[in-house]
Amino acid sequence: MAKGILGDARLHFDELNKLRILDPEVAQQTTELKEECKAFVDKIAEFQKIVGSLIELVDQLAKAAENEKMKAIGARNLLKSIAKQREAQQQQLQALITEKKMQLERYRVEYETLCKIEADQNEFIDQFIFQK
Amino acid sequence: MRLKTSHLKEPKHKELVSCVGWTTPDELYSCSDDHHIMKWNLLTSETTQVVKLPDDIYPIDLHWFPKNIGGKKQSQAESFVLTSSDGKFHLISKIGRVEKSVEAHCGAVLAGRWNYEGTALVTVGEDGQIKIWSKSGMLRSTLAQQGTPVYSVAWGPDSEKVLYTSGKQLIIKPLQPNAKVLQWKAHDGVILKLDWNSVNDLILSAGEDCKYKVWDSYGRLLYSSQPHDYPITSVAWAPDGELFAVGSFHTLRLCDKTGWSYALEKPNTGSIFNIAWSTDGTQIAGACGNGHVIFAHVVEQRWEWKNFEITLTKRRTMEVRNVVNDAVDLLEFRDRVIKASLNYGHLVVSTSLQCYVFSTKNWNTPLIFDLKEGTVSLILQAERHFLLIDGGGIYLYSYEGRLISSPKFPGMRTDVLNAQTVSLSNDTLAIKDKADEKVIYLFEALSGKPLGDGKPLTHKTEITEIALDQKGLTNERKIVFIDKNRDLYITSVKRFGKEQKIIKIGTMTHTLAWNDTSNILCGLQDTRFTVWYYPNTVYVDKDLLPKTLYEKDASEFSKNPQIVRFVGNQATIRRADGSLIHLNISPYPAILHEYVSSSKWEDAVRLCRFVKTTTAYEDQTMWACLAAMAVANKDMTTAEIAYASIGDIDKVQYINSIKELPSKESRMAHILLFSGNIQDAEMLLLQAGLIYQAIQVNINLYNWDRALELAVKHKTHVDTVLGYRQKFLEDFGKKETNKRFLQYAEGLEVDWDKIKAKIEMEIAKERERAAATPAVRASVTVQH
Repeated sequence: MAKGILGDARLHFDELNKLRILDPEVAQQTTELKEECKAFVDKIAEFQKIVGSLIELVDQLAKAAENEKMKAIGARNLLKSIAKQREAQQQQLQALITEKKMQLERYRVEYETLCKIEADQNEFIDQFIFQK
Repeated sequence: MRLKTSHLKEPKHKELVSCVGWTTPDELYSCSDDHHIMKWNLLTSETTQVVKLPDDIYPIDLHWFPKNIGGKKQSQAESFVLTSSDGKFHLISKIGRVEKSVEAHCGAVLAGRWNYEGTALVTVGEDGQIKIWSKSGMLRSTLAQQGTPVYSVAWGPDSEKVLYTSGKQLIIKPLQPNAKVLQWKAHDGVILKLDWNSVNDLILSAGEDCKYKVWDSYGRLLYSSQPHDYPITSVAWAPDGELFAVGSFHTLRLCDKTGWSYALEKPNTGSIFNIAWSTDGTQIAGACGNGHVIFAHVVEQRWEWKNFEITLTKRRTMEVRNVVNDAVDLLEFRDRVIKASLNYGHLVVSTSLQCYVFSTKNWNTPLIFDLKEGTVSLILQAERHFLLIDGGGIYLYSYEGRLISSPKFPGMRTDVLNAQTVSLSNDTLAIKDKADEKVIYLFEALSGKPLGDGKPLTHKTEITEIALDQKGLTNERKIVFIDKNRDLYITSVKRFGKEQKIIKIGTMTHTLAWNDTSNILCGLQDTRFTVWYYPNTVYVDKDLLPKTLYEKDASEFSKNPQIVRFVGNQATIRRADGSLIHLNISPYPAILHEYVSSSKWEDAVRLCRFVKTTTAYEDQTMWACLAAMAVANKDMTTAEIAYASIGDIDKVQYINSIKELPSKESRMAHILLFSGNIQDAEMLLLQAGLIYQAIQVNINLYNWDRALELAVKHKTHVDTVLGYRQKFLEDFGKKETNKRFLQYAEGLEVDWDKIKAKIEMEIAKERERAAATPAVRASVTVQH
């Protein structure tokens, strides 16, 4: 009866016979819910942390990949330009070789004439000896 | 020869360098598109900024004001002209102050050049105008105007003409209005640069067709290079005109004046836009497209003489190699070597401060003396002394280092003299005048005074090359020269008394050289290599000249070969492609010269006979030389033998008839007649009082007027002259038309008996006289 009356007044007693405005059952459920919510929030935070670090990692990877890509392009370009450089160098060396060849040709001509002089002089000496 | 290049690791200029210019042999100014003017001191290796120009001035060309103006010498240039892209030129002092800026052209001013005297400036621009300015920058005239930009300009050697580009054409325009303009197509692409040397009068041009070319001042092509990989952006003559430098992309070339290339360098410079030679001609600076200034030294020049070979290995070091025993000596100098010459057993080296004289016998103890002015431009050697020419004058030194003389003449310009225009022998110095190219000044070497009456030798056309013979007596000193028409002439340098004849001995002669040990001349005539074994023949017996020559086909030497030297019996010729060719000349003529100079006639005859038995083709030449030498020295016995050997019977007969002449004087006179010296012969006879003989000489030569004149003057033998004249006229069936003869014939009767008697008498008289002075006869070389 008292219970009924209290019930009508929306008051309740709990197990410890304390007066409660909320139904103890509901109160307990609420508390449970609160606990659960807290756990959920904690878990979500942890999840976020994990995901954050993952994103960071991926970002780093992306950067590294980008770097490597640039390097590769650079290397490829370098390769191409080296070929050109070599060509230029080859051209330069070729010019130098042509120059040396011309010099060689000059020396060859000079050598030939000197040989001819030597032959002439030998002939002259021979002639001279025979005359005597 | 080669270039030793150097440039800094990092460029001093941030933008391309457009122009460079030397002030002294060790200081350079450079201008760049970054508006900075830098000064490079090579002694301290310092580079300092002189001035930063306003941002709107982009320099294009600079040229220093010339150093020597009207004899007043400055140790270095004080200001320069700088042309820029905004259509102005700026006169800028050494410390970098812009003294004056003048609005000159519409569009960029592409080049500016002072003339050699520093009295005028020429500028050319993108607007196609060529303008002449005064020293202070006032406009004098607009010389020419055309539709295309003018990329480069140069003054002629006499500052009377201007050479400029017009697209693919080169144009030479005299400053005088209405004078003839010379214009020719020079390249297949636009011409970018040109230069005109004042010493050798040759023109260089380079263009976008990737070639460089050498021209003479008449526009004749002397050399055209192979096409390069890139356009040629710069060319520059060395001050002495012996070398030039060529610049292109990553390319620097050193070339001989005949065009062939000594050395090629491939420095990392970008295009070389401008090249400047240092004032002493030992190094060049190049303005590079990548902001560098490149320096290049000329090293490894070589000198050869007999068995010695000398190489300039470094700037201050020479290596002497004796080829006979492979001994090597190193010669060290305190300063940079500027010029050197090796000949006659001596090496003369000039550095910037001193002159060293080495003997080939002893390389350890040179003779050293200080030079008045640093830059020696030419060293010439003779057997007993040598000549130094610098900006200030001409100095003759003995090999002991004593100053012998310093010849001068009015209007002398020493900076344009080279080995073709100056010639030295033991007793004489000859210098071709620059102002009047027909004139050769002759000096007594030992006193430095003009020779004889002081009048210079004058020819009828312009002379291009001169050479004195080296041996023999001072009285017989000969000079040969080539004129504009490439004819070769010989004459004696002794010019007192009667005018010496200038006799032509060759045509189409490009180059010549005298032998160092005897008076043998060699030269290249058209396509023949010719040796004049005894050039003096023309003064003795001109008909004999062709027989005293040695000729050889020289077409294998290609175009324009040059004789480098003629030492001993070896001539060295440089072909157009730069290769040296050595030719052996028969040693016998030199020996013959030696015998004759010491009057060993019997030995000379024996030598000729010996040659006859060995080489058949030479003996005619030898005998002909001997004949000419014998007549020149009036040794008629030898002459008779020699003429007999070459089969000139008429001459043998004449010599015999000379021998029969009664007196010494007539014999001498007839020897002179034999050589064609009629005037001398007549003079000799008149001096000896042999009037009749003199008259007879003229009668024999049909020189009637002179014969009559003599007869009338001396009041003797007028009838003889008239008699012979009548006989002559009768023989040819002619009438007397000569007024003088008609006049004298009136009062005289020709009586042949009387004439004959008179002639007999004269001859008898002469014989008597000769007999009366028998002592004199012994000294005469005519022997029976």
